[in-house]
Amino acid sequence: MGAFIDFFRGPWYIAVYTYREGIRKKTLIGFLILSLLVIFGASFISSYLDPTSETDIDLKLIKDICVATISIFGVLITIFISASVVPGEIENKVIYTILSKPVRRIQYLLGKFIGAQLIIIVNLLLMGVLFFAALYMRQGILPTLLLWSMLLTYFEFLIISAFTFAVSCASTSAVVPTIIGLFIYITGNLTEFLKDVQNRAGQSGKWFDDAIGWIANALYQVLPNLQNFSLKTQIINGQPNDPPTDVLIPNLMAYGTLYAVFGFLLAWVIFWRKEM
Amino acid sequence: MSIAIQTSKLTKVYEGSFRAQDVHALKELDLTINQGEIYGYLGPNGSGKTTTIKMMLGLLFPTSGTIEILGSSHVGSASVKRNIGYLPEGAYYPDFLKGEEILEYYGKLYGLGGKDLRRRMAETLELVGMTHARKRLLRGYSKGMRQRIGLAQALISDPAILILDEPTTGLDPIARKEIRDILANLRDKGKTLLISSHELLEVELICDRVGILFEGVLQAQGTLDELLQQRDVTVDVDGVDDAAVSKLAEKGLQVEDRVQSRAKLRVASAITAYEALELCRAFDLKLIGVAPRRETLEELFVRIVGAAQSTRRQ
Repeated sequence: MGAFIDFFRGPWYIAVYTYREGIRKKTLIGFLILSLLVIFGASFISSYLDPTSETDIDLKLIKDICVATISIFGVLITIFISASVVPGEIENKVIYTILSKPVRRIQYLLGKFIGAQLIIIVNLLLMGVLFFAALYMRQGILPTLLLWSMLLTYFEFLIISAFTFAVSCASTSAVVPTIIGLFIYITGNLTEFLKDVQNRAGQSGKWFDDAIGWIANALYQVLPNLQNFSLKTQIINGQPNDPPTDVLIPNLMAYGTLYAVFGFLLAWVIFWRKEM
Repeated sequence: MSIAIQTSKLTKVYEGSFRAQDVHALKELDLTINQGEIYGYLGPNGSGKTTTIKMMLGLLFPTSGTIEILGSSHVGSASVKRNIGYLPEGAYYPDFLKGEEILEYYGKLYGLGGKDLRRRMAETLELVGMTHARKRLLRGYSKGMRQRIGLAQALISDPAILILDEPTTGLDPIARKEIRDILANLRDKGKTLLISSHELLEVELICDRVGILFEGVLQAQGTLDELLQQRDVTVDVDGVDDAAVSKLAEKGLQVEDRVQSRAKLRVASAITAYEALELCRAFDLKLIGVAPRRETLEELFVRIVGAAQSTRRQ
């Protein structure tokens, strides 16, 4: 047990440092302020203008805007932080001062990854709390469904974060991992279309038609299906205190964790013999 | 004397990608640094100094050859790194932290905690003269203060070996002198210091031994006494006039640094110092002083690197 605690002590110090440094990044603060303004604007301003004329459609629109804002700004923050925590330290040479200490590379990576997760969670919580408060004030019902949605959204971000982080470990700047992170987010939300492509391919009998079907199938099998984590439709159309339907929360958490572990292991494989 | 760091036939080749050629950064480097000495590691930019240091810290991996640190070949392992403090050149330390918070962070990475950490923080801050600024945010620090904090983070665990990359670059003369005194003090306490630097005057003032690297090859290694040649003798005289200048030159005495009638005469190797003094008497010059003139480290550096460059051209 002592050795276990000793092993995680270093990563924890690095994680706290990463968090403290990360929350001061101007780009991240900009994303967060913008997202909070959009949520605040959509949720509160319209009700102050003319609360009596609000219809069901208005409420759905507000919910739609808020869910989309959390998803878009949350993923931007996730990708920005995951892509920059390691390359940033290589660029400013801080990594030399840390890896020259009795810190293993896996401990360093763990620390940076956990630090990035702390930042993502805090930002998600800030956006979620504002949306939660807005819904509660409007409808007078505790929107517990939103809590489940936030939990699943975090696991979606965890997958994106882990793979962006892995790519960042092979890179010396944050540009390429940011692009790859966005690619993962977009394709991860389009995996149902990949299945559709696979089903429609191979009908002409031409080799490239078969190849497209094969590639679409391979991508469908490999890429995480991020749509699984979305409760957007239920939040917009359902009651705020409904239990989540059509999803198995523990299964999705395990699914997200498995992908994240795989992403982190990939990061370690890239990093453990990386020359700096 | 025990050996702190030893490399044997250490070679590093950076493989070129696509059409780029391989870069041979280090070629069979045999380096020996004894315990308790200050070793000056010199060389022009791109000579392989930083590559050597990074391999000692496990940040880069040798293509071939070995490194032993305090008798262990497990370079890069936690047990070896526990004995090393490293100050990289131009490292960034976050502005939002206070001086003591930086030390606390790095101290914890060494596994220090509680009273031990607080004691080491106090001792280290005292050693680098930063106790008064420990509560201040780094954004209020001058360049010299940042360098001191950098040195403090390298010293926080009281390591046996200190590796310092350009520790005095960009500092004013007073700060340089203070850093130099700190380093000499550490040597007196038995620490081993490896200093990579372009500041040859600083190195000459403080280092016990130096190694000069050029294009990945160690061109010279030894104490300053072993490496610096006795060049010639200068005779400080008064009473020199224009007529004497040309006559002295004909006899092998070059007039330098003449200010009115005072001048320094450099004695060429063709004549002895005694003959030079006889000539001074013959020209009725007033003798002020006679001093042997040793080669400076800068002259040695230029001579060795120049010779290596001309060998390469051939």
